[in-house]
Amino acid sequence: MVITGKPARQRLLPYLLVFPTVLFVTVFTVYPTLRAVVNSLYRQRLNIAKYRTPAFVGLENYIQLFNDPEFLTVLTNTFIYVLGVVPLCVATAFVFAELVNKKMRGIGFVRLALFHPSILPLVSAATIWMFLFTPDYGLFNSALRLFGYTGPENWTANPDLALMSVMIVAVWKNTGFFMIFYLAGLQNLPQSVYEAAKLEGAGPIRTAVSITLPLLKRTSLFVSTIAFISAFQAVDHVFVLTGGGPSNKSTILLFYLWQERFEKLNVGQSSAITVILIIILLVFTISNFVVSERKEVDYE
Amino acid sequence: MKHGMTVSVLLLGLIFVPNLIAGGQQEAVAGEEVSIEVYYPVAVDAPIAKILDGYIAEFEESNPGITVKPVFSGGYGDVKTAVQTTIEGGGTPPALAVLLATDLYDLLNAGYIAPFDPFLDSMKGEKAYLNDFYDSFLENSRYEGQIWSLPFQRSAVVMYYNADLFRDQGIAKPDSWEALAVAARDLTKKEGDKIVRWGIEWPSDWPYWLFQPLAIGNGQNIVGDSDTDVFFDDPKVIEAIEYYISLSEKYEAMPSGVQASWGAAPSNFASGNTAMIVHSTGSLTGILNQTDFQVGVMPIPASTKGEFASVPGGGNLYLMDGVSDAEKAAAFRFAQFLTEPERVADFSIQTGYIATRKSAYKTDVMKAYTGKIPQALETRDALEYAGKELSIQNLGEVRNIFHNYIQAAFNGEMSAREAMQTAQVKAEKALEDFK
Repeated sequence: MVITGKPARQRLLPYLLVFPTVLFVTVFTVYPTLRAVVNSLYRQRLNIAKYRTPAFVGLENYIQLFNDPEFLTVLTNTFIYVLGVVPLCVATAFVFAELVNKKMRGIGFVRLALFHPSILPLVSAATIWMFLFTPDYGLFNSALRLFGYTGPENWTANPDLALMSVMIVAVWKNTGFFMIFYLAGLQNLPQSVYEAAKLEGAGPIRTAVSITLPLLKRTSLFVSTIAFISAFQAVDHVFVLTGGGPSNKSTILLFYLWQERFEKLNVGQSSAITVILIIILLVFTISNFVVSERKEVDYE
Repeated sequence: MKHGMTVSVLLLGLIFVPNLIAGGQQEAVAGEEVSIEVYYPVAVDAPIAKILDGYIAEFEESNPGITVKPVFSGGYGDVKTAVQTTIEGGGTPPALAVLLATDLYDLLNAGYIAPFDPFLDSMKGEKAYLNDFYDSFLENSRYEGQIWSLPFQRSAVVMYYNADLFRDQGIAKPDSWEALAVAARDLTKKEGDKIVRWGIEWPSDWPYWLFQPLAIGNGQNIVGDSDTDVFFDDPKVIEAIEYYISLSEKYEAMPSGVQASWGAAPSNFASGNTAMIVHSTGSLTGILNQTDFQVGVMPIPASTKGEFASVPGGGNLYLMDGVSDAEKAAAFRFAQFLTEPERVADFSIQTGYIATRKSAYKTDVMKAYTGKIPQALETRDALEYAGKELSIQNLGEVRNIFHNYIQAAFNGEMSAREAMQTAQVKAEKALEDFK
């Protein structure tokens, strides 16, 4: 494409406008990513004198990682965490949005109550939950006992419950935020379809499944994408609640990355984990994009 | 995608961003005004920032020409991270930093710290100065004949007991493993099936530290004198783990499995939900403020009758490498100022940390304080029984291995023997590169 007849100043303008963004993305995204890829091919351990200077080792860091049962446990934990938290968050968010999408007195308060966890910093939220999870007198356990729960109560230290405790906090924290997107989506839907459904005699569940959900498909895609990414990003509550324990039972990828880099001072290995994390997120984002593009065609 | 990138930005940006920030700083020139930074953590429930600000104002008044800039950096881990990212990013590190006493080898291997010796050597009364620190606190500072840190905010593991309950039930202060277990069993209170008071709580969410007195009290510390020896699979260490488990399994006097109760234990104790807790001396002030009964403090009983054990903990002052000589000299002067007996005493009284120097206990303020709160002397006396805190090459990895396997044993996923044998093999592999 050749642009003619326009003054140079005008041709330059678009580039000037995108320049700050390009600069920002280059400095804070492209460069660190490339740096991680390069570092992941080197052996560098800051706390071992002879490995202090980086030495090229090819894919050694990756080979070591995938042969390390501990790393495989962490990967498994991460997938359990993500595959548990994301669907639960999205489904609950949708149900909550349906429930609060009404005009009635005090609904603003209910919405606020459901939304407020997402305003709290994750660290504070986790600290509060630490108390809720306390055996014997913790509120969470007291509430469970009301429903006849008699199982173990040491949520953050029990090998079978630690990961779940971290997931519970994540779901509690994020659901309100995703609810807002569904609520916005619901309020934009045309009322005429609902009137028609009502005339046809469709109940609330039938309406939700056959009308609301298909119409909100784009919202669902958007919400599940950010839910997925934020599930990989969240790490603060692990520090507060379990410290990855007991015996690595609640260690997830980003926490493990922090341990490798800042506790074990293993620069090469932690760069490799960074690259793996980026690849997982890229694969998901790209496939999600491809799927959503195809779905769009179906709907037009 | 943007979010995914944000992850990498946050992680990797840390590595080079401080570079840009610190690039503008100027090296101080000797003889002129010197400005130093001090990175410090807040790890206890005390107004550390306010206390330090007071000391700095006092110091600057008596040392014109030196400006001290305190930088609060979070917990111990955060200070270490901040120091690392600053240095790895090519920036200028702080002249002085408060870091864990056990971080010595990591900091040394990475080339982050400088020895105190050149400054100590030029000091009048160097020997007397060093000898005045409690040995168990200075132990982690020595390596290859040099002093790499000065004890600052130090603590130790002790047992707090509800002395009123002991008196009411006619139970003597336990002086052996057996006596401790029996006392804990007798003090456990049940209503129907429900336990309303535990005999003892022994947090194990960050297990190595509170566990060490058990191993030491059974005659074998988990760490040796050299910087590469661990004794995880020693029969005596395994026995210590089995003893810990027996407190819940056999005596039913302690919650079973890993106890994630570091934060909750002091309040459980203060509210009478548990008769004894094993915790840091740093919790003394908080516990005394919350309780309305007589609180006893003692070292952990050992397996042999009449013997006891403890282990020190906490943070030291480190001199950072990579700053000018003038800044180092100023930093040393400030470190010296912080470790003067009156200030050590004041810091101990205000925070609950154990005073690091013997002469601090001879000051008038300290005498007045320990007259009112005799437990503060007991926390110090526990040091007499202290062994070496787990400090070792490749600390992050070795400690992680120990934590993973001791927790597996506590939770009954592995036998104590099986867990410790695996831990030993893994730890030795992690230490291979240092031998």
